Amino acid sequence: MLEIKNLHARISDGREILKGVDLAVKAGEVHAIMGPNGSGKSTLAGVLSGKPGYEVTAGQVLYQGSDLLAIAADERAREGVFLAFQYPVEIPGVNNMYFLRAALNAVRKQRGESAMDAGQFLKAVRAKLKLLEIGEDLLQRGVNVGFSGGEKKRNEIFQMAMLEPKLAILDETDSGLDIDALQTVARGINALRGPERAIVMITHYQRLLNHVVPDRVHVLSGGKIAKSGGKELALELEQTGYGAYGDAA
Amino acid sequence: MSAPAEIQPYVEAFKARPTAPEPTWLTHRREGAIRRFSELGWPTRKQEAWRFTDLRPLQRAVFPPAGSAGRATDADIAAWRYSGAAHRIVLVDGAFAPELSTIGDLPKGVWLASTAHTLRDRADLVEPALREIDVLGAQPFVALNAALFADGFVLALEPGVALDRAIEIIHLGRTAGRSSQLRNLVLLGPKSRATLIETYAGEGAYWTNAVGVVGVGAGAALRHIKLQDESAAAIHLGHNRIELGRDARYESFTLSLGGRLARTDIHLKFDGEGAACGLFGATLLRGEQEGTIATVVDHAAPHCVTREYFKSVADDRAHGVFLGTIAVRPQAQKTDANQLSKNLLLSRRAAIDTKPELEILADDVKCSHGATVGDLDEAALFYLESRGIPVADARRMLIEAFAAEVIERIEDDAEMRAHLGRHVARWLAAGNGR
Repeated sequence: MLEIKNLHARISDGREILKGVDLAVKAGEVHAIMGPNGSGKSTLAGVLSGKPGYEVTAGQVLYQGSDLLAIAADERAREGVFLAFQYPVEIPGVNNMYFLRAALNAVRKQRGESAMDAGQFLKAVRAKLKLLEIGEDLLQRGVNVGFSGGEKKRNEIFQMAMLEPKLAILDETDSGLDIDALQTVARGINALRGPERAIVMITHYQRLLNHVVPDRVHVLSGGKIAKSGGKELALELEQTGYGAYGDAA
Repeated sequence: MSAPAEIQPYVEAFKARPTAPEPTWLTHRREGAIRRFSELGWPTRKQEAWRFTDLRPLQRAVFPPAGSAGRATDADIAAWRYSGAAHRIVLVDGAFAPELSTIGDLPKGVWLASTAHTLRDRADLVEPALREIDVLGAQPFVALNAALFADGFVLALEPGVALDRAIEIIHLGRTAGRSSQLRNLVLLGPKSRATLIETYAGEGAYWTNAVGVVGVGAGAALRHIKLQDESAAAIHLGHNRIELGRDARYESFTLSLGGRLARTDIHLKFDGEGAACGLFGATLLRGEQEGTIATVVDHAAPHCVTREYFKSVADDRAHGVFLGTIAVRPQAQKTDANQLSKNLLLSRRAAIDTKPELEILADDVKCSHGATVGDLDEAALFYLESRGIPVADARRMLIEAFAAEVIERIEDDAEMRAHLGRHVARWLAAGNGR
């Protein structure tokens, strides 16, 4: 599904953040990428999703066997790549329902499926809202406008459930969540696990991994994958901290 | 001052005008107005109010008055007809088009008719509103209009009359190379209320020069919507003078979408205490369009409130201008006024000039203003794109949201907001997707 080879990337001020990332994720797998602050986790998410402000200086990213970096962000999304934002953006004046229907129909069009009419769409929305315990009234607002921190994160997973991506990258989806919200979000993610889908969870903490158990865990440090292992690696990190990986905290 | 030669064709047109029977006082005023216009000539960029306006599209050609109404059918106005219930007057090339108008049954105490009709039957209604003021001041287009106007509309409400349905005026320009000199009057008696929507549209390279005189009596309320959707080759100059009596309410919304050169001037004076106005609008520009909103609010009475909020979007090589003056006279204590101009620049070759101006001569007042010019929010754009929405659609959604935010200021009228929203969406859909 996803193959990252020797990926180097820098940010707009010229600093190199990713210094040779190698990673392979197969369909059906859930991978966790952990690491200390400043190790390049969010840069990796940004580069994969096509966020402006990053420059890839070397290496390659293959998605379903073709060059992911060669296509624009909106096209990546239509091809099935989804990024759950660490900080979802508020967009006043753009109605949530209108936005989501436009997104869903753009993705469906790419898949060769017909556009959903308002009735079908509402039915699909209601089923997923329940899963993520989101009130229908939130959807009548502007995108993320007036949402609490937890509501914003649940809305990200709700969008993912609606768009049914093949590759989901979750950037610090657990940050800022209380335990109840964390469980709701985890339930949403688990419901989306499946043989056709790969999920990459980027996180600083181990706690989300108690609820969404990964197949593989990687430690990103100094812009490279420093160590990979099974789910027990996350527990090990919880004990020892990131000290061994160059983070004093 | 311009050389008289430039404006001579208009003076000639005045002399050669068809002699319709009209009251002597009106003929005298027209003569005074054309003299004033001859003295003034076209405005120049040395005049502060015209500094940013490129009048060359107007000066390169001569636009004699259209003389008679061009032909138009119901199909020609279909795109602009207000979706809500309305008493409708349609004018074509500056003249009343009875076959397209549906005035319907008017409640008692309401006068709605063309200006020419009103001059024939109820000259008493309009005489006070066509005062010497038109020939004072440096307003050449108003003076020219006073000399040449043949028609327009008149809405007059007797005290206490509240209109349920909107009053709708549609003007179509249909004849290239001609001008429509429209004179409109809106007179609301004390404690009356009305909603008025004026729409300007058409086809070809014509010139619309519309002057409106609006009087809102004590305790009366007027919502005044203007949809300027002239043809892309047309010139539109619209000048409204508004006077508010004690405790009157006036709200205007100007949605400006069309015209090669378009300018809306709003001159509002508070004549009595405790009145309030809201002046709102959105201007969307692309191609070579130039669009100007110029407001002057004269706080001549104490305890009055002004809320001004104008937005503009300029793409391609378009030029947007906002000139906003709020003058607070010495006696206008407890004035509460604020003004905001927000602008989106979508292209490197587009330009926005925004010039707020406060002249405060009273000491116990609350006045503020602000202006911003920026690009679309990059983070919002990426968020939409990251969900698969094509870039062009994402941009359109954000521009639509930008305009919608000021349309929201039209409170308690979802029908009107939706009507204007549809025209914004249509403008966006007609673009090249930039």
